[in-house]
This record gives sequence, structure tokens and C-alpha cells, in this order.
Amino acid sequence: MVFIPPYVPDAFLSMYLPAIYAGLIVGFIGTMAIALKREEIHILILTDIVGLAMIFVVSAVGTDLAEALILPGLVVELAETLAISEILLTREMRKIEQNPRRNLQKTSSMFPQPFALNMEILNTAPNFIALVLIGYGIFLTGFTGGAVAGGGIVFYALSKKARGLPVLMLDGIAGVSGIAWCLWILGFLLFFVAPQYWLLSLFLAACGLLLKVASKVGLIGLLMREDFDKE
Amino acid sequence: MDFVTLGGNLLGTIPLGDIVLYLTPFNLFLFAVLLGFTLLIALSKPETQIEATMHTLNNTEVKVGPKEFKQRRFLSIICGLASAGAMITGDLFNFTLFMALVGILNIGIVSAVKQTSVLNSAFNYGLIAMMCSLPLFGGASIILAATGTLSLAVLSQMPASPMVVFGAVLMLIGILGESGVAPFFASKAEMFRTAGSPFIVIIHLSSLFIIVRAVEILLLVLW
Repeated sequence: MVFIPPYVPDAFLSMYLPAIYAGLIVGFIGTMAIALKREEIHILILTDIVGLAMIFVVSAVGTDLAEALILPGLVVELAETLAISEILLTREMRKIEQNPRRNLQKTSSMFPQPFALNMEILNTAPNFIALVLIGYGIFLTGFTGGAVAGGGIVFYALSKKARGLPVLMLDGIAGVSGIAWCLWILGFLLFFVAPQYWLLSLFLAACGLLLKVASKVGLIGLLMREDFDKE
Repeated sequence: MDFVTLGGNLLGTIPLGDIVLYLTPFNLFLFAVLLGFTLLIALSKPETQIEATMHTLNNTEVKVGPKEFKQRRFLSIICGLASAGAMITGDLFNFTLFMALVGILNIGIVSAVKQTSVLNSAFNYGLIAMMCSLPLFGGASIILAATGTLSLAVLSQMPASPMVVFGAVLMLIGILGESGVAPFFASKAEMFRTAGSPFIVIIHLSSLFIIVRAVEILLLVLW
């Protein structure tokens, strides 16, 4: 009754049931964890695991129709997570409005002791390592390169912060991200419009991805730094 | 079961490639009622609650501010349109998507209220809705895997295999959770306890209508 093309190997066909079992078991474990955990932010993260199990079950079907189902499924999952976290934020804001002194308690720093060491290597080595990482990331291009270069930026920010020095603010990191998107999309467009310039479009896309990932990872580092500054 | 036995005479079909919309009096009636109600909501103003103040003889008005009013009206209209879409759709997966959209919008409508208890129950309802997306989408995909189609017109002609029954049961669990009825109503019932009546009522109405449609779809798939 169901049409299965003859060139689909048996190995793929036999994967369907294990994949569904895996999805249901992951969902079960996720719901059990939600039942055990009582902190709301943890529950929110754990519900995401159940959502991922949904992706398991849908993607187990493995046809192009199922692929068309995965994308809206993912979007719905993301939208729900965003909506619920917004609700959580609004609720906490209202609670703080009602009782502003509720959350005022001393937080502990990640580096409780000030770093008093004054060594030459502490000044030069982080810069050098960060430069090497960023250079290597640019050489790699693409997703991996972006991760390496972003790691370099994070390392730079962390090492300066650890010594209590002011860190160079990377304003307009969102702008870099936007330019990266444009490069990426331009690369894709060129790839379809003028296939003979495939190398150019490939490099455009790769550089766009590099900037994108590097700025994202760098942003994480900067956010972490701001987290440390809370004290 | 054939959709003619469930919904009355077949008035026509709208073939959109893989997705075939079928028009029966049953579906058209549900669709028209929801569209009419959405129109009413688009035109109406929210109610104002009067609450007695504790320890004094005053009354306080619980009003909805203009910004919150606009946001709620917008989300309620989208919610009405999404539920109307779920009434008319002839595709199993479109139904689940409309269902999930209604779930998100239900949270969105109450997201801007000031009562923390309402926000708390909206949060809990959202968690349930998110967890229930696993059986909802999973059930639809299992039915797809077992029959190879998502079109209700084709599914209604097929005999139900055990896998289809399993998928349909999963889908039922998902629909119950997403619309917040039967075993999952506890947090959703608390979401209504705020001002802004016609917008709040669409939360209730959409889940009622979707349950009616879900019963039809499950009958189509199973018999």
C-alpha cells in the first residue's frame, strides 16, 4: 500500500522503529526529569528536550514530506520556547515591581580573588594566542573557522577580564552579523544566477559564515564578561 | 469513515496539489461561525472588571490599557483565523500546525496581563503545550509513515492498521494537551481570570471548536 522506492536500502527501512522508540524514550526521560525538577528555568530547558524528541519521531519517517514537517515543527517549538520564556520574564518583572528588594542578595564572583601577578607573559601571551586563533579561523573560513575565531575573541576578552583590565568594547557586533548575512545570501544568489563564478560565491558564503559564527561566539564571550561585572 | 457520512453532502473539493480541501456543510458551518466570531472580536471593546477593594468601601476598576488592548486584539484575531483554518483544512499536518499555532496564541493573549497568578498558569499551560507537541506531531508523522499520505480524503478511504491506531491515539493526547481540555485543564482554567472578556473567550472557543474538528478527523482516520 505504501510506496517505497526499490533503491532504498533495507538498513534505512529497519531504522524507522528504533528511531521512533528512541524518540519516545527520550520524551519519556524528559518528562520524568520535568516531574523531578522543581526550578522553573530548568523545567523550561527540559521541555526543550521533549521538543527535540518530537523532531526525532518526525524525522524518522525520512521522506521529503517528513522534511517539510520538520521545519514547521522546529519553528513551532522555537516559538513556544520564546513565548514561555517571555511569560517567565514578565512574571518575574511583575514580582520585582511588587517587591523591589526581593532579589537583592550578594552574588559570588567567578574569580573571588584579584589576580595580583605581574608577569610579562600575562600581557603578551593572551594577545598572541587570540591573534593566532583568529588568523587560523580566517584561514579555515566557514563554520569551523568562525568557531575558532570566535574562541579567540572569547579568550582575549576573558584573559583581559581576569586581570581586571578594561576590555575593548565591540560595539556594532550586530552590524557585523548583518553584513555576514548579506554576504551569505549574496553568495547563494550568485551561485544560482551565475554558476560560472562558483568559487567567488563559495568564498562569499564562507566568509559570511565565518563572520556570523565568530561574531556570535564573540558575543557570547562579551555577554559572559558582562555577567561577571554584575557585582 | 467516509467524510460524507460525517459531514453531510460533499459540496466540492479544492485540489491544491497534494492537499485537497473538501467542503461539507459541517466544515463550512464551523468555519463560518469562527470567522463571524473573529469579526465580532475585531470590532468589540474589552470589558472592564469592577473589583471590591479590601478593607475599604471603594471599588477598583481593572482596565486594559490601549497598548495591551491592541496586542490582545491582534493576537485574538490571528487565533480566530488559525482555528478557522483548522476547521476547513483537509490535511492532517496542517491541522496539527494550526493546533500548535492556537496553543502559542493562547499564551500570547494573556502574556501582557499584570496578575502574576495568571502569568503563572500561562507558564504552566505553555509547558504542557510544549510537551504535548511530541505526541501531536509524532502522531501525525506516524500516521504519515504508516499510510504514506497526510490527505484526509485519502486517509478516510484506507483501513486502519495498528500503527495508524497508535498514531491516532498519540495525536489525541497531543490535541488534549495543546487545547488544554480534560486531564490538562487545571492551569488553563486559571488563565481566564483577568479582564478583557471577548479576547479571553477566544481561548475557550478555539479549543472547543478544535476538539469538535479533532473528533471528526480521528473518526475519518480510524474508521
